Amino acid sequence: MELILASAECNPAVDIICAPSDVNELFEFREAIFNIGPFPMTRTVILILGIAVIVSAILFFGLRKKSLVPGKFQLIVEELVGFVRNDIAVEIIGEHGAKYAPWLLSLFMFVLVGNIYGIMPFVNFPVTSRMALPVMLAVITWVVFVIAGIKRQGIHYFVGIVWPTSVPMFLRPLVGLIEFFSILILRPLTLAIRLFANLVAGHLMLTLLLVSGWVFVSNIATIGPRAGIGVAWFVMGLGIYVFEIVVIMLQAYIFTLLSAVYVQTSLYPDH
Amino acid sequence: MDLEAAEALKGAIALVGYGLAAIGPGIGIGIVAGSAIEAMARQPEAAGIARTTMFLGIAFTEALALIGFVLFFIA
Repeated sequence: MELILASAECNPAVDIICAPSDVNELFEFREAIFNIGPFPMTRTVILILGIAVIVSAILFFGLRKKSLVPGKFQLIVEELVGFVRNDIAVEIIGEHGAKYAPWLLSLFMFVLVGNIYGIMPFVNFPVTSRMALPVMLAVITWVVFVIAGIKRQGIHYFVGIVWPTSVPMFLRPLVGLIEFFSILILRPLTLAIRLFANLVAGHLMLTLLLVSGWVFVSNIATIGPRAGIGVAWFVMGLGIYVFEIVVIMLQAYIFTLLSAVYVQTSLYPDH
Repeated sequence: MDLEAAEALKGAIALVGYGLAAIGPGIGIGIVAGSAIEAMARQPEAAGIARTTMFLGIAFTEALALIGFVLFFIA
């Protein structure tokens, strides 16, 4: 098997670590595997469709037979659904939170499975590290919280943003401008970048360390004791692997949490 | 300085830029987490709220470092 990217141009006798010449190589799969009409199905697209299948399957089989004494699988799924519904939706948004729970649950499950791809053996590619995906999710969140605000407060939602009555008169234009940028532009942007950058950083570290480790150790016949460097990279890579497990859970949680907070602030602007 | 040398230096400067961008959020996250631990220690019954708020604070603070991280790749 041809190991990706850097390993081809890496010389274990000279280099210390196998860095890719172009980082984009790690995240781009240009050649389509097959085409459906005008849509080229690359590896990323197939993985994204896979998320939909996995999430639907987990929720369907987990909650198909609603027995009073749940089995192990049903218990896990119920915990997951209850966590998003009670600890995120209702606790953050308040009494109207349960209405947003299905959307938050799909968001959470989608991001979670997309992130888990990053540490799943033989997949090893977090689809959420392609900017298009977090941006689309952030745009959906943006649409939801803007519509929630308009529905609740009408045109006063926008007026309240650009002309905040809670600050002194002479500061209102300035604060209004800052609020406008921070709420309508920076919010979705940082939401997308946070997920994207965390996953890119994790994927980069994992690939760099594990590929370097593999290249050094597999060339032990030609480079002799220098292969010890590879063992060090392997150990570091496995450490990062454990760290990544924490990061992917946390990022899915934070993405959902922030979406809920944004909806809450447009529903109750004074809190 | 000719164009080639500038091109070669660009990556190094972006690296320094990311390092600078990480200082502020690093301090900020430290303060957020420290205060959250203090709050949890003083009022263990409010630990859930403190934890949620801590994650929120960390997420907002972290955004600056992440923008720096992205700019490092764009540069």
